[in-house]
This record gives sequence, C-alpha cells and structure tokens, in this order.
Amino acid sequence: MTTDNVIIKVRDLKKSFGKIEVLNGIDIDIKKGEVVVVIGPSGSGKSTFLRCLNRLEEPTDGKIFLEETEITDPKIDINLHRQRMGMVFQQFNLFPHKTILKNMTLAPIKLLKTPKAEAEAKAVELLERVGLADRALSYPSQLSGGQKQRVAIVRALAMNPEVMLFDEPTSALDPEMVGEVLEVMKELAQSGMTMVVVTHEMGFAREVADRVIFIDEGKIQEDSSPEEFFGNPKSPRLKDFLSKVL
Amino acid sequence: MTILNFTDWIANAPAWLQALPDWLQNFVFQLYQTFIYQNRWKFFTDGLKITFIVTIGALILGVIIGLLIAIVRTAHDSSVKKPFFLLRFLNWFCNLYLTVIRGTPMMVQLLIMGFVIMAPKTEAGTIACGIITLGINSGAYVAEIVRSGLMSISVGQSEAGRSLGLSYAQTMWHIVIPQAFKNILPALGNEMITLLKDTSLVSVIALRDVTKQAQNIANKTYQAFVPYISLALIYLVLVIVMTKLLSILERRLRKSDH
Repeated sequence: MTTDNVIIKVRDLKKSFGKIEVLNGIDIDIKKGEVVVVIGPSGSGKSTFLRCLNRLEEPTDGKIFLEETEITDPKIDINLHRQRMGMVFQQFNLFPHKTILKNMTLAPIKLLKTPKAEAEAKAVELLERVGLADRALSYPSQLSGGQKQRVAIVRALAMNPEVMLFDEPTSALDPEMVGEVLEVMKELAQSGMTMVVVTHEMGFAREVADRVIFIDEGKIQEDSSPEEFFGNPKSPRLKDFLSKVL
Repeated sequence: MTILNFTDWIANAPAWLQALPDWLQNFVFQLYQTFIYQNRWKFFTDGLKITFIVTIGALILGVIIGLLIAIVRTAHDSSVKKPFFLLRFLNWFCNLYLTVIRGTPMMVQLLIMGFVIMAPKTEAGTIACGIITLGINSGAYVAEIVRSGLMSISVGQSEAGRSLGLSYAQTMWHIVIPQAFKNILPALGNEMITLLKDTSLVSVIALRDVTKQAQNIANKTYQAFVPYISLALIYLVLVIVMTKLLSILERRLRKSDH
C-alpha cells in the first residue's frame, strides 16, 4: 500500500439532483485516526458529501474507496461496508418503538451475529461511557435531545465501526445540550476513531479537528489544519464565510 | 312438519305463556320457531362457522396481498434511480390490480369468481372461492392502508437502519413496519370490520354463511322479523367484540410513546 494509512479515498466525486449539481468533483484522502471537520454555508453540499461516503446518497460519478475496496462499485454489497462506517444524524433517528438497549443491540445481533447477552453487555458498557447506563430500558421519547444524540452515537459504536460520520450532530439540539454531545465526540476523537464531522461548531473544529475542509459550490475550497484554516484562510470565499460566522 | 301451527303450539304451551298478551305470545312463538323448534339454533352456529372461516381466511390473505403490494409500490416510488425492469413491471401490475378491484363491486367479483373463473363444485371449493375472492378484494384496500402507514414513517428511520448496515428488507421488517403497523391499526381495524360484514355477500355463490342461514329460517317459518333482527344482533356483537380487541391491542402498542 503506497498511500500510507489512508482509510477513505475520494476521487472526483460528483452528485447532482436532476439538473442541479451539488457536488462538482471532490477529491480527498482521509487517514486512519484523523478527525476531519467539514464546514460550509448551507446548500454547499457538505451534507451530501458526507451521505455519499456511505452511499445513503448515490454518487452520480466518481469513486470512493474504503481502504482497498471501491464502495462505489455497483457489484459490491454496500450493506457489509456500511457496517464499518457508523453514522450520526442531525435528527438522531433513534427507533422510537424500541428501548435504548434494543436500539443498540438490533444491528449487532442481526448482522454481527453477536449473542444477545454479549451484545447487551457491550451496549450497557457503551452507555456507561456516555453516562446513560440507567436509561437502558427507557424509550427514546423519554430522553432529552442531548441524551438521544449520545445514544445515537453509541448505537453506531456498537457495530465497532472503523469510521464515524457525523451529519450536523448538534444542529437540532437546544443550546445547553450541545456541550454534552461535543464532549462525547471529543472523547471519541481522542480514542483514535477516524471521524468525518459536518458541523457549524467552529469551537469544536478548532479544538478537536486534525483537518478542516471548507466546501462551497460543490468543491473543496480549502483543506488545512485548524490553525491555518482559522488563522490564515487562503480562499476568498472562506475569508468571507469566516467573517460572517466568527 | 316444518311449519308449526300457532294454535297447536299455544294450546300445548305452559300456563304462564298462555297468560301473556297476544302480541307477546306471538313474539315468543317466533323466537321458538327461529331458534328452538327442530334445533334451528344450529343453523346459526353452522352459518357462523362458515362466516368465521371465510373472514379469517380472507383477512390473512388480504393482509399478505396488501403488504406485498404496498412494499412493491413504496419501493418503486421511493427508489432514487430509475427502478429496474422487474420492479416497474410489478408496480404496473399492482396498479392494474388496484384499479380493477376497487373499480368493481364486491358482489360482481363474487359472481365472476364463483361462476366464471373458479366455478367450484364442492363445498370446500366454494369456501376456498369465497376466501380467495374476499381476500383479493380486501388486499386492495389493505394495500393502500399499509402504503399510507409506510409513508408516514420518516425517511430518517430507514436511513438510520441502512447506515447500520441492515438490508432494505431487514430495515423494513424491524424498523419501518412495526412503527407503520401502530399508525395504521385504526384503519386496518376498520377494514377488518368491513370484511366481516362483507362476508354476508358470499351467499350469492351458495355458501351457507350466517346470513344465508337466517334467510333459510325466514323461508321455513314465513317469518322475517326475528331471524333478521337476530342476524343483525349477531353481526353487531361480533363487531363490538372486534372493536374491543383492537382497542386493547392499540393500547398495548402505545406503551412506547409517553
């Protein structure tokens, strides 16, 4: 392997909805253990980019590799590769008809064939990590937004993914709950998880990211370390954007 | 002797009956003729057996057909890319089925199945014919109910399932369908009640369901009032019981929303 430790490789990724071109040729390499934060104005295609990575959105053109496997190859079983990429959504998307424990054990039991007791033990352990072990038997509707999102994160972690994708994980939260979710994400980043995070939380980007990329008009306009990104932005679009949000 | 003579009957009746006013005597006489004389209550129980068999059979068939059609139609409508040929063909076929079944009366469908397509010769064959016809009919309505239920579940739910690596079928089965089922239960219950009452039409293909049996009694006794009012009460009680069971089920399923 020549490209050392690259876990996700994206080449000339394009996506259009009808006539509207949302992604217009994205190229990026993401290394194992890297935390990449994706920033951009709304409608810039940053969420679409993230959703293309596990093919929740089918790319119109281009290639995506997860390690050695080209996951944009129509012949591969995408379900197997999605198991390796956890995803956290803006709207949490917990399963409201299942308890927290069942939310977390469904996929491991069905897909990894983990014995029920083992899956439950692991789920409780994960819940302990985010301080929610006592809510294992609650239903999602009994939880606050911040608690729901923490559960959504550990639900994805229960599958032992190699990569975690976050699609604006704090945008639907009340302000006082943002911190608790970011804290969990920060710990996850420190544990060495590869993460791609679409967010508006500039503080998180500055503090936790290894790289920050700026997407606008369907292209990566800037790709640099957080110090460079915020301290010395090069693209005029990014300068303009930062002047509005900071 | 099938027709009982009122004068003979009242002459042999116990004294307390003879003491009643005329109209009440007459009413008791009709009740006696309808239910007790020559064990006629058995007409009703035999008829109910047929009604139950046809209802339950048609219900199961209708739910299976409805579920399949709803899944085909939802998969077709929600697919991002142009659906592959088989799916487009299935969707076309389902639409045809819905149009034809919902566009023609149930009675006509029974006549066509009973005398043209299946034309059964045995009683078991006729029961099967009734079940199939009603099941096919009910399936069309169930399909639209189920489809509305599937569409009521936000796309985020299936995305969450798919992002964990579950297949389309697993996501449907474990995540979407259980939630949709809860949402459509009232409408589905309504359809079940309609189906139970629609089984009264199977008499046109010579099935002896409870309605047909009540007609038989009315023909034997030359009295329509008691047999038909009793028939109505039987259906009413069945529907009330069904409604009760459904509301219990609904309450159970609601335990996850607080």
